[in-house]
Amino acid sequence: MRLWPRNLPGQMAVLVALALFVAQAINFGFTLHDRQAFRLEQVVGPVSARIVDTAQNPRARDPVIEARLSALRPDESPWDRFRSRPLPQNPMPPGLSRRPDVENGIRRKLNEAGVPTGQVIAAIRPVRPDDPRLDRLPRYRAQRLRMTGTEMLIAIEQPGTGWWVQGVPWDDSSWSILRGLIGQTLVLYAIVLLPVLWATRRIARPLRTLTGAAQRYHPGEADGPIDESGPPDVRTLIAAFNDLRTRVTAMLQEKDRMLGAIGHDLRTPLAALRVRIESVEDDDDRTKMADTIDEMNGTLDDILSLARLGRPSEPLTDVDLAALVDAVVEDFRDLGKPVTFEEAARLKMTLRPSLIRRAVRNLIENAVKYGGSADVSLAATAHAVRITVADNGPGIPPDRVGEVFEAFTRLEVSRNKETGGIGLGLALARAIVREAGGDIDLANRPEGGLAATITLPR
Amino acid sequence: MSGLPHILLVDDERSIREPLAQYLTKQGFRVTQAGDAEGARARMAAYAIDLVILDIMMPGEDGLSLCRHIRASGDIPVILLTAKSEETDRIVGLEMGADDYVVKPFSPRELATRAKVILRRAASGGSRQHAPESGSYAFGGWVLKTGERALVDREGVSVPLSTGEYNLLLALALRPRQVLTRDQLLDLTQGREAMAFDRAIDNQVSRLRRKIEPDPKNPELIKTVWGGGYTLAAEVTRL
Repeated sequence: MRLWPRNLPGQMAVLVALALFVAQAINFGFTLHDRQAFRLEQVVGPVSARIVDTAQNPRARDPVIEARLSALRPDESPWDRFRSRPLPQNPMPPGLSRRPDVENGIRRKLNEAGVPTGQVIAAIRPVRPDDPRLDRLPRYRAQRLRMTGTEMLIAIEQPGTGWWVQGVPWDDSSWSILRGLIGQTLVLYAIVLLPVLWATRRIARPLRTLTGAAQRYHPGEADGPIDESGPPDVRTLIAAFNDLRTRVTAMLQEKDRMLGAIGHDLRTPLAALRVRIESVEDDDDRTKMADTIDEMNGTLDDILSLARLGRPSEPLTDVDLAALVDAVVEDFRDLGKPVTFEEAARLKMTLRPSLIRRAVRNLIENAVKYGGSADVSLAATAHAVRITVADNGPGIPPDRVGEVFEAFTRLEVSRNKETGGIGLGLALARAIVREAGGDIDLANRPEGGLAATITLPR
Repeated sequence: MSGLPHILLVDDERSIREPLAQYLTKQGFRVTQAGDAEGARARMAAYAIDLVILDIMMPGEDGLSLCRHIRASGDIPVILLTAKSEETDRIVGLEMGADDYVVKPFSPRELATRAKVILRRAASGGSRQHAPESGSYAFGGWVLKTGERALVDREGVSVPLSTGEYNLLLALALRPRQVLTRDQLLDLTQGREAMAFDRAIDNQVSRLRRKIEPDPKNPELIKTVWGGGYTLAAEVTRL
């Protein structure tokens, strides 16, 4: 279970709710403390006053009446009524929980009044709703006792005189305060959280739009500027993003223009050279020169394609991938290269055909160049298509497989003219395949040679 | 007329134009050079030009615009020189009415061959309306798109062809119901990229059949004419 929400409105709401709760809890603590002090005062004050009064002013009342008043009626417990005469012994039932705060309060009061005091015992006793006393007691007292559910029994020993005894209703729980606090908190939540949620959503929504736009951003694809909405800070951010996007697009366009210019500027002298070598008499020499120029031109093509790959100009097309691989292989075979392809069933895919052709061609080219031959196969599963180009060459040392993908890397240290190339082909092939959502793996085959596998999602 | 075919070579790059003019002259053409579109227009007005070889990328008015002008004002064939091999350039060029194109850096030998083919075609028939090799050709449920060099089936799925297969199919589609001998086909298809072996034609035909015939054993589209060659036995509609 995740309690901490991920989005801004959720986090703000939880944070504010927590803060409110802590504030309310502190508030509750203070209220409780005040309430307790008040309650103590309410009990201690009157009880002490009565005792002081009775002890200090033994008014000469009618002893008969006094005695009658002081005597317990048969159905009466000592706690039901304050009597003006003390009891001879401690009537406190054992096993009740005592309240030293009340005891100390009373003792202090009595000391202040100069009433000699022995033991002071204050204890709490629950009152069950079916307690028979409730029917006898005066209605207001019974009601209070029912409401509080507990009463406090107080017994005070006055040396030489006896025990003064009294019972008062005592609200032992803090439930009523807690109830009030919860109600208060809910009202606060309603008042504070709704605006917080509204305000944060107002910030979060444009931010989400912005995030989406940033994730979607694909240079070269037309995407209008994002609406500037939300509070000013967010608006500024969105404006800055729109601005940034415009600048990036402009830079990329500039790069394309530059690459176009480089391509043109390099191709022109190559073209001039290609025309001039036609005057070379030696056929062999001329062919070699033409091959070199073709190779340079191919490399130039690769560089330009690689640099431009982020913004392909070719649309996605429905293509028979089996026929595509077959066509590439056939082009090699027409040139007399030892390339085989096990014919495969029609396999409809949506991709950029000339780019994928290029990727497959580059892999076959490498296989022929470094492995002498290429065996191409095509396998399709429910979710992926694999094009494997296997050769019978020396393979690649396992620890260097990653390196060969680096543009301009070639594993041979000697730059043998025969083998040519600058390792750009593989990097370009991988970039193309990755752009299509797939990947290229290189692995040494157990029977020798290297297998390059293009995996494309279906 | 001097009797030699007169080529107007338009390219702003002297380093290409001058040696190329020299080479073409050696190959038996009369060559006039121009460095920009303006010069080209002036020379076209002054001479009876048989063929224009035109660079697309030129400062000022570019080659495409000049090509459109040439096409609008007469029937002189045009070969475009393009620096980019990108599809769009080729399509646009062919749609502007160019007869052919070569991508820089090109082999002057190949350029000369193509120039001769085009001149021969213009001299023999003159029936050419637009670039014969541009556009799309529909036959037997297939569409051959020259711009994308793609063959598209009834469901709109593109079936890529090898260069040799494409050239062969295009040659057949351009001449429906004509019997073409192996030599003719070899000649027609080699005008573009050279194929290495003679076995190519029979081989390509059987490969093509496997791709486009409903039943390759009993071909109905590409038929073998006994003792003659091959023919495309279908109505071809130019789209």
